[in-house]
Amino acid sequence: MSAAGSSNPEFVVARVRARRGQLYGDEEYRKLVRMTPAEIARFMEESSYETEINALGSRHGGVDLIEYALNANLAKQFEGILDWSEGALYGLIARYLRKFDAWNVKTVIRGVYTGASQEAIEVDLIRAGEFDDRRIRRLLEADSIEAVVEVLEDTIYGDPLREAYAEFEESDVLVPLENAVDRAFYERLLENLPGGEPIRQYEAFLKAEVDFRNATNALRLARSGAEIDPAEYFIEGGELFTRDTLARLARNVDELVEYIAESQYADELGPALRELEEVDSLIAFEHATDAALLAYGDRLGTVHPVSVTPVISYILAKEREVENIRAIARGKEAGLSADDIESELVIT
Amino acid sequence: MLEATNELGNAVLSTGGTLTDPSAAAALAVGLAALGAGYAERGIGSAAVGAMAEDDDLFVNGLILTVLPETIVILALVVVFIV
Repeated sequence: MSAAGSSNPEFVVARVRARRGQLYGDEEYRKLVRMTPAEIARFMEESSYETEINALGSRHGGVDLIEYALNANLAKQFEGILDWSEGALYGLIARYLRKFDAWNVKTVIRGVYTGASQEAIEVDLIRAGEFDDRRIRRLLEADSIEAVVEVLEDTIYGDPLREAYAEFEESDVLVPLENAVDRAFYERLLENLPGGEPIRQYEAFLKAEVDFRNATNALRLARSGAEIDPAEYFIEGGELFTRDTLARLARNVDELVEYIAESQYADELGPALRELEEVDSLIAFEHATDAALLAYGDRLGTVHPVSVTPVISYILAKEREVENIRAIARGKEAGLSADDIESELVIT
Repeated sequence: MLEATNELGNAVLSTGGTLTDPSAAAALAVGLAALGAGYAERGIGSAAVGAMAEDDDLFVNGLILTVLPETIVILALVVVFIV
């Protein structure tokens, strides 16, 4: 896992493509939505999740077992990718996988805030980012939010968190802290990208992700009608919105929908936007952005076969799979019908 | 720099130059072909090892694909017999 020297995209891409082939397809999902949680766990045991199900099977059961196995497998796979990749490739992948660091930081902060036990927080962490075990242990041992901020002092989250902590002390809500973490992640995501055509494509993909995140946030704010300054949620780096346009559009759902419908993402998001107008449901829109990103990643992966893009496409697809299986298991637990669950899945 | 190369070339040519010797040129051709094959195999080989690490059944396919660029060297060797 070196950060210097030449990169080895051939090796990583070959491995990642092989793993890609093992992901569940339409057929498997159709079977899964008709299973009980115990059967799902059994099904997973017979596929690439075998090790995790076996390791956790004695301690957990039912939907929890599925959930923990999914998280553990996700972490193992992504850790593996970082282990194999070298040089510039490592930097490009780590850039994206830092989102799990952000996730972990947010989970710990929320856990500390609600007074959850150390074990309860630990099982929800996804150890796929750049933080090593020692830092995660120190994060878990932190007993106050101030201690969490201190542990993260020397990371990219240090300064933004410290600023947000002052605000948190005044208002006692977590939003500023969580926003600070998200923003630190997204700002680093697009910073100092090296040159080259595949990297340009990668950058365009990352920008699309930021755009979608901004669009979803704006839609949520516009629909909730809450008196929150939309600019606070704005993430820099996208192409679709600027801070001002977002602040203006977030006051009016219709204008916002129209703005997105006329943007460069019209083709991908058009049907979802119409649905949004008709049934007034944000879920379809969020799924459409996920599906659009997934399709975008896939296309990039075939345009530049030996670069970072197939790896990112795999990371996205794997994340989707984990979320789909979790949705199926949770839906089953809640007693939803197979059709309802199927509408929750994002399959391309 | 350029003049120096020119002078070197002239010197080589006037002293009955090694590179104008057909067998030396053929040797150079084979060497360059081997270099190209090596470079090609570098990429294919690392991809093949990656694929094999995921699935042992790919060993045969990986091996065949890895040695395919070797044909360039064999073709280049033909030159040696022609001159």
